[in-house]
Amino acid sequence: MLNILLVDDDEEFTGVACHIIEFLGHDVLTANSLQDAYQVLEHNEFDHIFLDFMLPDGSGLHLIDHINKQEKTPYITLITGHPLVKGMLTSLCGPKIGYIAKPLQREDLEQALNQKAKPVSGKKNKASMPNKHFDCLIGESPAMQELYTMIERVALTQANVMLMGESGVGKEVVAQAIHHATNKANNSQHKLVATNCGAMTKDLIVSELFGHEKGAFTGAIAKKEGVFQLAGNGTLFLDEVTEMPIDMQPNLLRVLENKKVTPVGGTKEIDVNCRVISASNRSVAEIAEKKCLREDIYFRLAVFPISIPALRERKEDIPLLANTFLNELNDEYERNYQWAAVQLQRLVDYDWPGNVRELRHTIHRAFIMSEPQSTSIELPKDFRSPFSSVSDKKHSLAAGQTIEDVEKELIKVTLADVDGNKSLAAEMLGISTKTLYNRLHAYGEFKE
Amino acid sequence: MSATQNNENNSGANIQDPASKNINELIHDARAPLNRISMQAELIKLVLENDMPREKALEAATKIINSCQECSQFLEQISNK
Repeated sequence: MLNILLVDDDEEFTGVACHIIEFLGHDVLTANSLQDAYQVLEHNEFDHIFLDFMLPDGSGLHLIDHINKQEKTPYITLITGHPLVKGMLTSLCGPKIGYIAKPLQREDLEQALNQKAKPVSGKKNKASMPNKHFDCLIGESPAMQELYTMIERVALTQANVMLMGESGVGKEVVAQAIHHATNKANNSQHKLVATNCGAMTKDLIVSELFGHEKGAFTGAIAKKEGVFQLAGNGTLFLDEVTEMPIDMQPNLLRVLENKKVTPVGGTKEIDVNCRVISASNRSVAEIAEKKCLREDIYFRLAVFPISIPALRERKEDIPLLANTFLNELNDEYERNYQWAAVQLQRLVDYDWPGNVRELRHTIHRAFIMSEPQSTSIELPKDFRSPFSSVSDKKHSLAAGQTIEDVEKELIKVTLADVDGNKSLAAEMLGISTKTLYNRLHAYGEFKE
Repeated sequence: MSATQNNENNSGANIQDPASKNINELIHDARAPLNRISMQAELIKLVLENDMPREKALEAATKIINSCQECSQFLEQISNK
């Protein structure tokens, strides 16, 4: 979702354009003159500005000058109806300025909003940009190649998909990839609607999913469409589906079976035809054991289950991801930081329990901490976050682990806890120091 | 290019006497109602595609008709040039 400012003196146009931009899922404010726009910009930050070239109190170029003095500049799309200025705008358009010509269509607005600022040092950055599969996924490891194959296959069908993977692996990005691939396969432009089942209150869950009629309950001041309806013939992404209260799940089962919803307070059934992609960071075993999802719903949702690999299972992709994240930040803040080989190796060596999300946040933090005039980025000495140390301490046993694996893990954890002091570790483990050395020799982890 | 180099103050353009406008200015003015027509039609498409309240579509259709009238007036002025 983007924050958008629309500056145009034609109030009927701004009114209808607001409806359409909001429908596209963005927040929008309007200004009818330069003075209005200056005032709005004083109190708000925007990702994108649609700017009429000719305003009652001056040219839109005045506003561009004003915006360029700010630290963070939004993308600007100039709107013009004047044929004489089109040519001039083409030469004016920089990395963060584009233009569209009246009369506008919804597609013009969509395309403008999909524009990203062109890299300042274009050629170099473009060459080092990795391939984005399905416009959003990065990685060339075998695990990711397998994932791409599954996405391509399922995109040809309407089967419901359940995405499973640890927190931070990018389940929503994979949902987007499936959606893009489906649209491409069908040559369609359907929508992706995402919602988080874990964030819905129990009282409003049915209304969020299926919508409600005006006056259906206290506070229902207007008719509202549910996410199944909003998704139309496109894709509905239900994140954290296993966090939905179990007693509310039968509602979901009905729509998955019948493909019909009845809004709260409504009498008429409405057909729905979207693909449901659900996601959970619980394993299938955990879902079954803790009964956080009804079995009948699991089989409806997981017609095609996809397991997304953890980042530590595709370490060869870490340099690609690190380069992408750094390039994006360089472009956004007009810097030119570069990775040193030793820094990339440090990133590869770490296990990233928080997965891609943790990697991205670590790079963002390092970017902020780095010297603005320098080209070298400063990585923190220790990547571990409070959350990763908690997960480090879990070390839970799982069926199928060998006794040797468990013993090795126990020795490793104990040694880490006593900063590598082998005598102390042996004492804690209840074995002799010699036995500990023998074990470490056997694991090939003993270093003098 | 700075804004000061391109100070095209458009203040008062909308209240200028149509008779004093050249043909390019009139064509430019005619694009405003055309732009509204295009966007209102897009809104109608959204309403129909997404089962939104039909009142929105009716309101948009009325505005399209008004803008057509406005457009016709501009064409009349252009033909008188």
